[in-house]
Amino acid sequence: MTRLVTGRLVAMVGVLLALTFVVYLVDAVIPANPVAASLGAGASHAQIIAREHQLGYDKPFYAQYWLFLGRLIHGNLGASLRTHNTVTSDLSNFAPATIELALLSGVLIAVLSLILGVWSASGIRGANLIRVLMTSLASAPTFFLGIVLILIFYSSLHLLPASGRTAGGQATGFVMIEDFFSGNLSGWFGALRHAIMPAVVIAVGPAVAIGRVLRGSLLEVMREDHVRTARSKGLSEFAVMLHHGLRNAATPVLAMAGLQMGLVLTGVIVVETVFAWPGLGLYASSALQYSDFPAIVGVTLVLGIAYVVINAAVDILQLVADPRLRDQ
Amino acid sequence: MNRSSVPSTVERAVVSPPRVRLWKGLLALRPARYHSLARAERISLWSAIVLLLFVLIAPGLAPHGTTQLVAAPLSPPSLSHLFGTDDQGRELLARILYGMRSSVLSAVVVIGSGVLIGGAIGLVAGIAGGIVDSLLMRLTDLFLALPGPLLVLAIVAALGPSLQHTLIGVCIVWWPWYARVVRGQARATASRPHVEAARLAGLGRMRVALRHVLPSSFGPVIVTASLDVGNVILLLASLSFLGLGSPDPAAELGSMTAHGLTYLFTNWNVAVLPAAAVFILVFVANFAGDAIRDLIEA
Repeated sequence: MTRLVTGRLVAMVGVLLALTFVVYLVDAVIPANPVAASLGAGASHAQIIAREHQLGYDKPFYAQYWLFLGRLIHGNLGASLRTHNTVTSDLSNFAPATIELALLSGVLIAVLSLILGVWSASGIRGANLIRVLMTSLASAPTFFLGIVLILIFYSSLHLLPASGRTAGGQATGFVMIEDFFSGNLSGWFGALRHAIMPAVVIAVGPAVAIGRVLRGSLLEVMREDHVRTARSKGLSEFAVMLHHGLRNAATPVLAMAGLQMGLVLTGVIVVETVFAWPGLGLYASSALQYSDFPAIVGVTLVLGIAYVVINAAVDILQLVADPRLRDQ
Repeated sequence: MNRSSVPSTVERAVVSPPRVRLWKGLLALRPARYHSLARAERISLWSAIVLLLFVLIAPGLAPHGTTQLVAAPLSPPSLSHLFGTDDQGRELLARILYGMRSSVLSAVVVIGSGVLIGGAIGLVAGIAGGIVDSLLMRLTDLFLALPGPLLVLAIVAALGPSLQHTLIGVCIVWWPWYARVVRGQARATASRPHVEAARLAGLGRMRVALRHVLPSSFGPVIVTASLDVGNVILLLASLSFLGLGSPDPAAELGSMTAHGLTYLFTNWNVAVLPAAAVFILVFVANFAGDAIRDLIEA
């Protein structure tokens, strides 16, 4: 077990290095000359060359990659061309909103996929209808779902706010969490009202994908001998599924959950743009409008590292959930 | 191998398998199975075919072009302009039809390149085995472990936004699944007796690979590809929505939606209809993908 976990962590470091290398390569092909840009139009050719030498831009690419890694580890991602702050401070300002939204979506994904999977796997009424509904929802682009929800719940029913996020959370940036723990329940409810539509839109696609895998996996497990034994003990079908089905069906579901993270992370960018949710996604999409490359690199790295680390965690979680995997 | 002047039947069959096998493998669809499909699956298959034909033909039939100004800006839907006009007075219906065609064609390009690149890598890895196999598969795993869509974002931002650059970016990250599928099939097939026989008959490596090993992966690749169409259309639409597609006069469904958001509460059709067009394409593609999987795998 320890050996497997260590191996997985080493692989994770390898993937992280590859990620930084790809981002570095992308960074290196931008046509603009960052040195000339930083010195301004009045700089002479000799000045540019001297500065290039000083910053290491005249070194071979592997040495430059090494320098890039060094800057990265020190959290030095340069300055945003749009906000003129350092990218690191921008990222830490915008990250809490995204983390909060992602946590809420994570809860929704877990609940929705469980309901969808169990419902469509059990033979009870409406199972086929649920399957069709699941495929339909999975086919909707996130911006379509977002717009439709805004038109229904904001424009027609006046139930929910269409965009933005409540103020508050001055200390940490986590509005919902801070309001909740400081006992400001009406503030918390207001924050939740702002977050619920974007969180649902992010959650639907992954929840359906995970729900489908859960359904397939459950159907397989429910045919096995130990389940027949459980049924013959006289347990209700629901109890059988809960105690004997779900845990055994978990492995492929966790694998799928890891894969879906990639979709969630791009979904976040689109959804935050639709709902004007002031997080990393909105920051990234404004950066794209302004060709603000340092900011784009920063967001790609942060979300990419999150993706790689979460996937490693999911793999390790699989080992914990399923002892059979440890023997391989 | 000492060959007699007249090849035996067995040798002939091994050296040059009947031509028909290639296209049969390529289609991999056994029409006999069609009748075992559920009615819903037949319907989804036929709607996909009809929609595909419609999407390819309809732009040619549209009375207006994508940049032609036909009525006052933001005219509501009417009999003369079914979907209304956008904020510049261009006909929405025509722009959506062109946008749908470009979505479908782009998806074909991405999946085609995925099949070609992934297929080549998977075939080489599966047949060569040993160190070549492990190296190529480690590379594939590495690409699978990276967050593809995010990297596309960075790549396209670096190259500059345009549909071409978006396609290049997506093609770079879209092959690993196909490499895995083809490699798995090739590995399993390479040890089968007919491949051994073809090798012993003195066929070149290329010929053994392409004629005797590769056809076994046509079925799984077609299944993977048909289930992939919806995902590719969604990803491309999202990238276009974020402004990474071609700039304005180009008719792209994602950017049209993003552009229409400004008028969402006064003229909902400008934003909702292009987004709904993406939805319809992906919806039909996903159901048809399921049907094709059942047709080939069941």
